[in-house]
Formats: sequence, structure tokens, C-alpha cells
Amino acid sequence: MPELKHGFKISTEKCQGRMPCMRACPTHAIRVKNGKARLIPELCIDCGSCLGVCPSGAISATTVPFAELDRFKFKVAVASPALFAQFAIKETPACVARALLDLGFDAVWEYSVDIELIDRAITDCVKKWPGPFPLISNSCPVIVRLVQVAYPSMVEQLIPVEAPREIAGRELKRRYSLELGLQPEEIGAIYITPCQAKTISILQPAEEEKSYLDGAVGISEIYNDVLQKIRKTTNAEGSPKSKFGIGELFHWGTPEGEFPKLSREHYLPLTGLTDVIKVFDDIEKGKIRNIEFLECHACPGGCIGGNLTVENLYVARSKNLHLVASMSRPSPEFEKEVERRYAVEDFSLRRPLKPRIIEGEVVNLLERVKRRKRADELLKGLPLLNCGLCGAPTCKNHAEDAAAARADLSDCVFLSRDRINFLREIYKK
Amino acid sequence: MAVELLRESYEIQGKNYDKAGEVSGEIKVLLRDLGIDAVNMRRVVIVAYEGEMNVVMYAHRGTLTLVLTDRDINLEIADEGPGIPDIGLALQEGYSTASDEMREMGFGFGMGLPNMKKNSDEFRIESEVGKGTFVFAKIRLNANA
Ligand SMILES: Nc1ncnc2c1ncn2[C@@H]1O[C@H](COP(=O)(O)OP(=O)(O)O)[C@@H](O)[C@H]1O
Ligand SMILES: [Mg+2]
Repeated sequence: MPELKHGFKISTEKCQGRMPCMRACPTHAIRVKNGKARLIPELCIDCGSCLGVCPSGAISATTVPFAELDRFKFKVAVASPALFAQFAIKETPACVARALLDLGFDAVWEYSVDIELIDRAITDCVKKWPGPFPLISNSCPVIVRLVQVAYPSMVEQLIPVEAPREIAGRELKRRYSLELGLQPEEIGAIYITPCQAKTISILQPAEEEKSYLDGAVGISEIYNDVLQKIRKTTNAEGSPKSKFGIGELFHWGTPEGEFPKLSREHYLPLTGLTDVIKVFDDIEKGKIRNIEFLECHACPGGCIGGNLTVENLYVARSKNLHLVASMSRPSPEFEKEVERRYAVEDFSLRRPLKPRIIEGEVVNLLERVKRRKRADELLKGLPLLNCGLCGAPTCKNHAEDAAAARADLSDCVFLSRDRINFLREIYKK
Repeated sequence: MAVELLRESYEIQGKNYDKAGEVSGEIKVLLRDLGIDAVNMRRVVIVAYEGEMNVVMYAHRGTLTLVLTDRDINLEIADEGPGIPDIGLALQEGYSTASDEMREMGFGFGMGLPNMKKNSDEFRIESEVGKGTFVFAKIRLNANA
């Protein structure tokens, strides 16, 4: 397996070993040894839960610096609908798109066509799917990685349809290379992203194919510049020349798609990793029945709550609702474009998704069973307080680490006085 | 000879729909932690779930025992209950004696036993009317790896 790229970096220098990241991580991928946080890369699902909680500012998101995009002859922005919910009501999607052009993009892609296409592709896929159910949406990269890491037997339930942003990247390269006589590599397809997870999914897609997009820029990274450009041009003549209305920049579903064509009782939208995990656990137990499709987003509130957004979730949501309410019906041109493209394009995922291989599990079955029995045995000697002072988030994790010889059982303060003294040294002011 | 690596037993309560599915859920977590591949895991869990549900729906109480060896996973589901008078009939697709109430809850399509058989490499039922039922299923680990 190629080395895994991840959405953020922990700076060892800045890290003070305070552990909120370790406690926040939903897949228990962080250990804090010798006063420094360390990542177990195979377990990290790029959710960013650690990002916001670090008191030392030691964790930072990886995004592509805006300046790096100059290598392309023609740059096209594919803006997550979450972008448009970041600004005041009077700052319409058209104003925001205009500002993106002023910032140096050569075009702003009419992304809602792709979202609509994927809505349809998903509806069709769900109708034809022989089972097992429920199918699970895959447009949130964190959800895909969560399933690959923690729910391997559900990987085949991730819907085998491309994410709309990928379809946008493919189509815009096709169209502009035809129109402008450029090579596809000379056209930069840049996603304006609400989270670092999508940046990573573009650098290294979970299905191990190459992304159709060339990179991503975080909303928070360009927010100030966009705001400034909007302010400058408010008095100047209006919106960018677009053959369609706002519907082509902004989709009327919830950001990143909602699938109104599926009947309500068979379709469940979920947001927030904690709730998603609860539902996935119920699926594992066989408790969820009669649901055909789960639309899952790791961020509470969905992509408008992404960790690279600026506006707080509730304000952004109200702006979003306002935008939806003020939209007219989709234009005939829009409908025609959707029909045309739906007839000629293939939206199926190019490669099947597979469970992620976890390094510690490469050993044979006998050894795995031995480790498990050993871990169960060792756990009996631990206090079950999950204090974290051993450097693992839970006693169970510590027992497993010790059973696999990744940690010393006596790192538990209950088992060794030396550990306290050691910690005292490390956390000395 | 297959070498036994692990043996775990789980209690199942009859008529407890609130807890129904928990045993197969636990088995799934166990197999996931042991790194059993997804295809075999799915087969084991289908067999365990349907077996567990049959105990919940039809019997008073039961025990599910999972035995992992170096080459297969064996499930033994033993219950105290009414037993099955005609096993051949019970194994037919669509045959069910589930009550209307059970059907309303989404059970009783008569596919449980057939699906258990389909997902096992060896499958056996023994039953004594008025006493109980014993189901044995073997899933070979290399068969689908
Ligand atoms: N453990 C059991 N004890 C008594 N009867 C059982 C048991 N398991 C299955 N049966 C009988 O066999 C029938 C078929 O079972 P199954 O194929 O699982 O379908 P379903 O549970 O949907 O009815 C059941 O309706 C029931 O009459
Ligand atoms: Mg049944």
C-alpha cells in the first residue's frame, strides 16, 4: 500500500502533550508518548476532530497554497455549495462567483448540474441494487475512510457512484480542452473545499484511482480575499456572464446534495460522526431494516459545518435556507443540460473500494487470536478509568497496544509509581 | 485436524426483541478485531443473525457458541423451545410460522434458514419437538478468501 497522506500535521515542536486530540479521535488513532502526540496513520480517517481541540495550535490542516495553482494555463473553480452560505444575504452566489474570477480563476464551474446528475445516478443505483442494504453515500471522504477502517464488512455498501466534484472535474476538463484547444493537464480543476478531508481525497482517493481534480483550496483560506473583492465590486456592474441563473452555481438540496427522489421512509440523512457511528453500529447489529440509502456527512450539520468554513453552522444554515427559498425553479436550459449529460456520461465509481489494511493485523490468525486473548487478560489488571495517562485514549487501547508489544503495560500509573515520576518530569513547567 | 483457537459463548433470550441482534453484533466486532476478511465475516454474521433471530422469535432461551479454528468458523446454536416438527419444510424458502405481530416488525419472510444454509459450507439441524433445536453451521475461512 502506498504511504497514506493525511489531512493534517502534528507539529512535534509545538505539541505539549495535553491530549485533547487523543481523546477526541473517533478511531483512537492518536497516542501521546513522552509528552508528544503521534498518529497511527492507518487508523486516521482525516475527520479533523483533533484539529479544533488542540490547545497548543500544534495541529494544522494541509491545503494547497493558492499561489501553487499558477502552474495551470486555465484555472477553473468548482465551488462547494457551502461556500455560498458563508456570506451575507446580499452577497449572492453570483457576487461570490464574480469575486472568484477577480481572484484569478478563469472560470467558475456551474456545479449544480453535476450535483443533480449524481442525485439521479444515486437514485437509479439504489433502485437497481440487489442488496445488501442500506447503501451509504460516499461523497464525504471521512465516511468512506471510516467504513474502510472500522466497518470493513460494510465497504461494499458504499454506493459505487462517483462524487459530484469528481464528475465536475472530468467534465470541465473535457469541455475546456475542446473549447480552448488546451491539454487536460494545462487546465486546473480546483475544488473550493469546506474541509481538509476533501483535499486529501483529491491527493489520494480512497479507491486508489487518480482524482479528476487537481487540488483544493480551503474556504477559510480565500474567505478574506473573496470578501474584499465582493466589497470592491458591489457598485460595479453585477454578476459574471453566466448562461444560467444561480441554480447552476448553487444546488437547492442541502449542501453537497440531498436526494429528494428517494422516498422518505427508505432514506436517512445523517450528519456528525458521533451519530453516524451510532447508526453504523446498529447496521452491524442488523437493527436497521427497510432503509435503502444513508446519506452521511461526518461534520455536524453537513458540509456547511466543515472545519475549513468560516461562518458558524447556524448562521450558515439559515443563509443556506434563504438561498434555497429564493431560488426559482430550475431553468429549461439547466434541465436540458442535465438530460444531455445523463445520457452520455458514466457515473460509476472507477474502482471498487476496499477495506484498509491495518498494519498491526498483518500477522497471521493464530497470532491475532493470541493477542486478543492476551489483551483481554491484561485489561483485567487495568482500572478502566480511561484517564489517558499511559498515552492511549482508553484502557482497552492500552491493553491492545501492550498485547501487540507496541506499548509497555507498566505505562499505566496504577501499575507503576515510576510512571508518575516520569510524567512529572515531562509535564514540568 | 483443525486446531481450535478460540471459543466464545453468548446467551440469547427468547422474545426479547429489544436485545435482538446484539449477539450477532458482538460476533461481528470480534471478527472485525481478529481481522477476518469481509466476505467470510459477512457470511458468519448472516448465519449468526438469522440463528439468533430464530431463537428470539420461536424459543424460550438459547446459547450461541462460536468456535474459531485455524481453518474455519463454527456456529452452534442450541435452544430450549418448541422444536421444529418438519425440518424439510422449515428449510423451504418462504415457509414461515411467524405471527402477524412478528411480520409487522419486519421478520418472518421464511428466508432465515435457507439463507443460513446458503451462507454455510456445512449446515445441520437437529430438533426434538417440545424440547428444542440445535443448528450447526461451518464457514470455511479459505473457501472465499
Ligand atoms: N429455533 C427454532 N425453534 C422453533 N422453530 C423454528 C426455529 N427456527 C426456525 N423455526 C421454524 O422454521 C420456520 C422457518 O424459519 P426461517 O427460515 O428462519 O423463517 P422465518 O423465521 O422468517 O419464519 C419458522 O417460521 C419456524 O416455524
Ligand atoms: Mg427466521
